[in-house]
Amino acid sequence: MSMLEELKTKIKDELPNLDWVIGWKQGFDPLQATPHFMRTEQDVDQLIYNPLCAQNLATFLPGMKDKKVGILVKGCDSRTIVELLQENLITRENLVIFGLPCSGAVDVSKVRKEIDSPGRITEVTFDGGHIRISTKQGSSSLALADVLLPKCRTNPYAMPVIADHVFGQEEKAGPCGQGESPALEALEAMSLEQRFDYWQYHMDRCIRCYACRNACPMCVCRDHCIADTRDPHWLSQETDVQQKWMFQLIHVMHLAGRCTECGECERACPMDIPILSLRQKLNREIKDLFDYEAGVDPEAVPPLLTFKVEEANINERGW
Amino acid sequence: MSAHDGRELRIIGFLCNWCSYGGADTAGVARLSQPTDLRIVRLPCTGRMDPLFMFKSLFTGADGVLVSGCHPRDCHYSEGNFYARRRLELAKRLLPLLGFDQRRFEYTWVSASEGQRWQTVVTKFTDQIHELGPAPKVGLSPETAARMAEAG
Amino acid sequence: MAAKTFLTHDDIPTWLDTLRDAARVLVPTDVDGTVKFEAYDSEREIILKAQATAPPKEAVFPQTETLLRYRYYKDPEHPETQSVDLKEDLPEDKVVVFGARPCGTRGFVIYDRVFATDAITDPYYKARRDNTAFITIACDTAEHTCFCHWVGSHPADSEGSDVVLHPVQDGYVAHAVTEKGEQLLEQAGGQKASSDQEKEAQAVQDRVMEELGEAPDLSGVPASLLQIFDNLDFWNDVSAKCISCGACTYLCPTCYCFNITDESYGLSGKRIRTWDNCMSYLFTLEGSGHNPRMTKAHRLRNRVGHKFSYYPELHGGVFACCGCGRCIKHCPMAVDIREIILRAKETADEQSVSA
Repeated sequence: MSMLEELKTKIKDELPNLDWVIGWKQGFDPLQATPHFMRTEQDVDQLIYNPLCAQNLATFLPGMKDKKVGILVKGCDSRTIVELLQENLITRENLVIFGLPCSGAVDVSKVRKEIDSPGRITEVTFDGGHIRISTKQGSSSLALADVLLPKCRTNPYAMPVIADHVFGQEEKAGPCGQGESPALEALEAMSLEQRFDYWQYHMDRCIRCYACRNACPMCVCRDHCIADTRDPHWLSQETDVQQKWMFQLIHVMHLAGRCTECGECERACPMDIPILSLRQKLNREIKDLFDYEAGVDPEAVPPLLTFKVEEANINERGW
Repeated sequence: MSAHDGRELRIIGFLCNWCSYGGADTAGVARLSQPTDLRIVRLPCTGRMDPLFMFKSLFTGADGVLVSGCHPRDCHYSEGNFYARRRLELAKRLLPLLGFDQRRFEYTWVSASEGQRWQTVVTKFTDQIHELGPAPKVGLSPETAARMAEAG
Repeated sequence: MAAKTFLTHDDIPTWLDTLRDAARVLVPTDVDGTVKFEAYDSEREIILKAQATAPPKEAVFPQTETLLRYRYYKDPEHPETQSVDLKEDLPEDKVVVFGARPCGTRGFVIYDRVFATDAITDPYYKARRDNTAFITIACDTAEHTCFCHWVGSHPADSEGSDVVLHPVQDGYVAHAVTEKGEQLLEQAGGQKASSDQEKEAQAVQDRVMEELGEAPDLSGVPASLLQIFDNLDFWNDVSAKCISCGACTYLCPTCYCFNITDESYGLSGKRIRTWDNCMSYLFTLEGSGHNPRMTKAHRLRNRVGHKFSYYPELHGGVFACCGCGRCIKHCPMAVDIREIILRAKETADEQSVSA
């Protein structure tokens, strides 16, 4: 029995005890996956699992704390669940976690840019580290490694760190944790002036839709975000770079020590702004300062919720 | 007096009510001369210092931001400054990625009796900011520029 | 109607350069992989092979628009009184939008019924609308998310355009739709299009229509949506994967809801109009703290209902949707509005049968 069949059988077993199970199904075309809320066995039959299943479904969990929910997670998504548990935002007893191995998640907007024809995609298949996209005009094959989401290189967990049922095995071919984020590397190679220009340039095309915030599983203030308040007036309604960039700082600082680098912020951005690098940088500094990684240990205390009288790695200025 | 000839820069100081704010007062009462670039915002504790105050200050035209509170172990609320130290260190380390020199932001500890020390801190920090010059201005539209010129 | 003109690809930059003398010319431009309308710069490539990420909405309805500026004056002799100076900011810029798709251009026709009617005219909107001309390019491909033919349009629709360019081999067959368009096209040069070229343009159009497939009949949808208005199970179900962000509304060529705020800096400031977004909790949050649309299900119901029921009820059955598919393509969770309206119709029909 294939892994997918095994998974479907298990979901069907659990379904009577649950309000629903969250997975993925095909979206508007064969390249697009979309979250799938399964309530019936027929729903389960529509389930898919492949590198197109990029969405981190744990985003939906804090909003359904009192429901009994089953959820499908990849390695990196599972860290979100651990972090939510650490913060007491979800109830473990109400949750059945189906853990899946990940061989990388595809950046669909990158693929759409790479293939020459913007027309209709008829079929997408995977073989030997490649993704083959067919259209009426012909087909093109891209190396999977070239079209993965930027989170894939830096997140080292191909297998879930928490699960009730685990399926499949770690595929070492996956790119998980194989390197540093290209965007962050590029930024760090720049001068201060270049970095300043970089952010002004990229933030300029932000449309303030807040998809980054709403897709973020750790943005748990939901309808009560300080970015939306008029008093205090953190941000004005103007759509200038100052407001847009400042919002990113609000998001980033509120994620300090909590961000599990699932990359939903950047994936959700309709204008493809490389905002994950800010979170990645913050996580590097947190690792360096506090030797801490978010969403790995359900018992750990997030670093900004605690302190040490003598900090090992903070070198204060002498004046 | 300004420590420097020519134009003042904009420095925002976030000071703890229980120590550094008193320390600045002590320096004043003792008539210790200080540069005048600093504008002070009084906080109940450095634990109230949201790192976003610093980013917002820099984004809206400040050239430098200084936070000063009670010495570690001396917090009026026992541990406010311990939390602050972690947050502020982290925020400081994020600055270079945004294109701001890390030296535009410092946090330090000055008690209410340390008038002399306050003088040293303000003078050193102001010197440091003048060495760096005006900070880059975020999204400076012609209107904002005009408004800022008008405000002097 | 004047004869059709054939323009080669090389004629385009020359034409745009000429147009630039009298107006701000906006063209689809690549900004780090994202395509949006920016001022024409002969050094930068114009991206015409696919639909732009963001529609040309800002040309007529900017995301932030200054309505007026104000400044308060205090009289030191009479501190209890103060005077205020107001200065209105009416837009005067002439703009030409080049290279939008028919769906993006047609969006403004939907705005016109709201902002520029016999009864009410919004002076800011009207000024920009009158000062903007559209040179539209008919589509030569259909994406999976395209559904203009569902909502009464088609890949070569000229509604709302001043000039339409039909892509053919080596160039475009162009024709003016309005008088404004004729004046623009006169400046393009080019030669008279041959009948073969005109046939080719028609063939491209037919091929794209065929790619789009058959459109379902949506005539009953406005009534269906009203019928299932209170069916919250339905709305909870279709909005389950929605994350309530504003990507769909802000990229939509027909979403026109706005907010007006005063942004003050000391004694002076400006009154601005900015895009609002019905997917946001704040959109209907009342001063009392009560929110009539407290869940994303209520909010998505409004978005779908406005476009496919309330607007058509008021405006002779015209849908407030141009079928560009950006809300589907750029939705982080791939929520598909087509699926929602079809399911709404189905659910309403089932309800009628069981009732």
